[in-house]
Amino acid sequence: MAIELGLNEEQTMLKKMARDFLATETPKTFVRQMMNDEVGHSPEKWKKMAELGWQGLVFPEEFGGSAMSFRDLTILCEEMGRAVLPGPFYSTVILVGLPILDFGTDAQKKKFLPKIASGEMVCTLAALEESGDLWADDIHLRALKRGNEYILRGTKLFVTDAKAADYMLVAARTSRTQNLEEGITLFMVSAKEWGIYVQNMTIMDLTRKQYEVRFTDVPVSADNIIGELNGGWPILQQIALKAGAALSAEMVGVGETAMEMTVAYLKDRQQFGVVIGTFQSLKHRAADMYIAMEYSRSLMEWAAECVKEKDPDAPTAVAMAKSYCGDAVKFVTDAGVQLHGGIGFTWDHDMHLYFKRGRYDDTAFGDSNYQKEWVARKLESNLM
Amino acid sequence: MVSGETQKAEALREEVRAFLGKNLPEKWGTPAYKAPEPGSEQAIALNKSFTKKLYDAGYTGFGVPAKYGGVERPAGERAIIRAEILRSGIPLPFVGLGRLVVDTLLQWGTEEQKKRYMPGILSGQVHWVEGFSEPNAGSDLAGVQTTAVRDGNEWIINGQKCWTSGWDYGEWGFLLCRTDVKAPRHRNLSFFLFDCATPGFSRKPLRQMTGEPHAQYGELFFDDMRVPHENMVGEEGRGWYVAMTTLIAERGGGQVGAASGEAGLMGMASMRTLGGVDGLIELARTTRRYGQSVWDDTTFRRRIAQFAIENEAQRAYGIRLGQMIRNRTASGNEASMMKVTRTEQGKRQGDLACEIIGAYSQLVRGDPKAVNEGDYVFSMLMSRGTTIYMGTSEICRNILSERILGLPRD
Repeated sequence: MAIELGLNEEQTMLKKMARDFLATETPKTFVRQMMNDEVGHSPEKWKKMAELGWQGLVFPEEFGGSAMSFRDLTILCEEMGRAVLPGPFYSTVILVGLPILDFGTDAQKKKFLPKIASGEMVCTLAALEESGDLWADDIHLRALKRGNEYILRGTKLFVTDAKAADYMLVAARTSRTQNLEEGITLFMVSAKEWGIYVQNMTIMDLTRKQYEVRFTDVPVSADNIIGELNGGWPILQQIALKAGAALSAEMVGVGETAMEMTVAYLKDRQQFGVVIGTFQSLKHRAADMYIAMEYSRSLMEWAAECVKEKDPDAPTAVAMAKSYCGDAVKFVTDAGVQLHGGIGFTWDHDMHLYFKRGRYDDTAFGDSNYQKEWVARKLESNLM
Repeated sequence: MVSGETQKAEALREEVRAFLGKNLPEKWGTPAYKAPEPGSEQAIALNKSFTKKLYDAGYTGFGVPAKYGGVERPAGERAIIRAEILRSGIPLPFVGLGRLVVDTLLQWGTEEQKKRYMPGILSGQVHWVEGFSEPNAGSDLAGVQTTAVRDGNEWIINGQKCWTSGWDYGEWGFLLCRTDVKAPRHRNLSFFLFDCATPGFSRKPLRQMTGEPHAQYGELFFDDMRVPHENMVGEEGRGWYVAMTTLIAERGGGQVGAASGEAGLMGMASMRTLGGVDGLIELARTTRRYGQSVWDDTTFRRRIAQFAIENEAQRAYGIRLGQMIRNRTASGNEASMMKVTRTEQGKRQGDLACEIIGAYSQLVRGDPKAVNEGDYVFSMLMSRGTTIYMGTSEICRNILSERILGLPRD
């Protein structure tokens, strides 16, 4: 497939608009305010984003969206990474909005998508449990059938933005057979239901809140099953695919910003009577940061295009992008702290926000090690 | 319904495949094929005859106007031809260092120089040698000490160049000389082309750490060699800037390379010897150590996957760079990035192959028990040169940090 990378005119405008908006509306003072906030969600900013059409960017017009592409959406994700934006955009749009769009019934789309697009609804995905990995064998939360309802019982961990969420997409086990990838079902559950307890996890990256969510006999209607009964695992894999591309885009934003901050500092900071950017050991590290980010961007754009085009290579492209971006963002933000010296190690300097967000983005939906293993298995199967 | 465009593309693809099927050496692509020793007479002859056939068929010579012997084809057709040629596994590029001369002449040459030299280079019939590095001017290229002194309509050249690839079969050469002892640095150099048959020119091999009998590199000596003034490229005293064009082309940023999809001369050599990522996987799967196949060792497996990822990253970056060149937003310094990444990757690849074969990584070519006839070890050693030639990795990082990131010169 002939893939065009880079941005077209419309995408360049979208990127500029996003950067301007986030610079004005969500500067670091706002980010830090949200870091100290237990919920980490500003309904006011959320409304403003909806007015720009961000939450519904890829939804069809009939559901209140702008019918733009997945690649366009990753441009927003990249800019949000740049701004280390707190709040539930990723949870709502990437983790829940997209699977409803791809797998929901018409009635479900009508129920949820317009509200997401208009900024009236916040959602999140509750999939991970004790292991912290997205792995079929590790999904134990039970959904027992009772009439036309299911009763959920169990605990989810690392649930992003759960305190802000109106609805949670919950991965539950509805039957247990030999093949543990079967018997998983996804339910849209109102967060207001009795029996749902949301508790803070004391997390490193305060720009992306995560919670423990306990479900103690929570009823949910069978109408709220997304996709087929017992058919949840392939949907979770699709969510992981798109989240992987979106997180790669965030990592490009995070990494490039950390690099730019560092290069600016190297041009400004003086020691031994000269600007420290004249020292080769620091220049060479800066060059390596640049190289890491250029290749990250290349793989990320390729992966996003593959996802957009539903290319059969999309899973490989995303695994490669996520692995490379994960390694790159860890390297670049580590070097960012190091090259800033003492100031880079302080809470007041913004570098640690990028450092920590990069770690979240790498870890979520399989870190760079996991992705390499995936690629290795894929290479092996290609040879057979 | 198939569009006319698709049909045309399919027809071209078929045409290239048929051409390759007819013209590639016998047993090509099978384990039974034995390539002639690089640099040997047979290898040169094979290269010349095959490149001529490709050129005559219109499959190489891109990026240059037809009036200078170039082959003009739409980008879509070039991409199809490139893809088919890459699939056949023919080592690129075909025309060696001459391609750098083409890029250099395109920017700096006179009309007469372009017409005289380019067709022979593009059709692969004239091989060129490079005269840049000297024993006392490596990374600091502007410090070359070979001199050219004007005598009427000629220049008399004296000095020594080293690390010249293709030193023994080159028929023409280009070199950077000091033409003004008083002018400031970077403004005292001039760029010349010379015929290797000129009296006063001699050459000898330079044995490298790989130790093979046929030296890939050599040294060139100039002892009152007379070169006509018309062989100067660019103005007198502007040779540094001319050489920069050559270096950018060498590192992979040239116009010809961009048009043909062959990004630079370097880097892929070691990868080919190792058979690419597939070759590494095969090696790991068939090598048993400590009771299991090496592929079943997670660490090895993931390191191999990392190479596949890096290759895709370079491929995707190549697409972006192609667009930047078309949009004229590329600075030319991007070539330094490809140079440093490909060659550093090549070293790690060679190291990995040697780690996979363990104790056998101590056996070199010539030992009957050497794995793959010693090619892995040879490639591992050879890759050490790649991060030094054409601008060391350190020089490349200087270029990136200064010219792209805007950090101050030290």
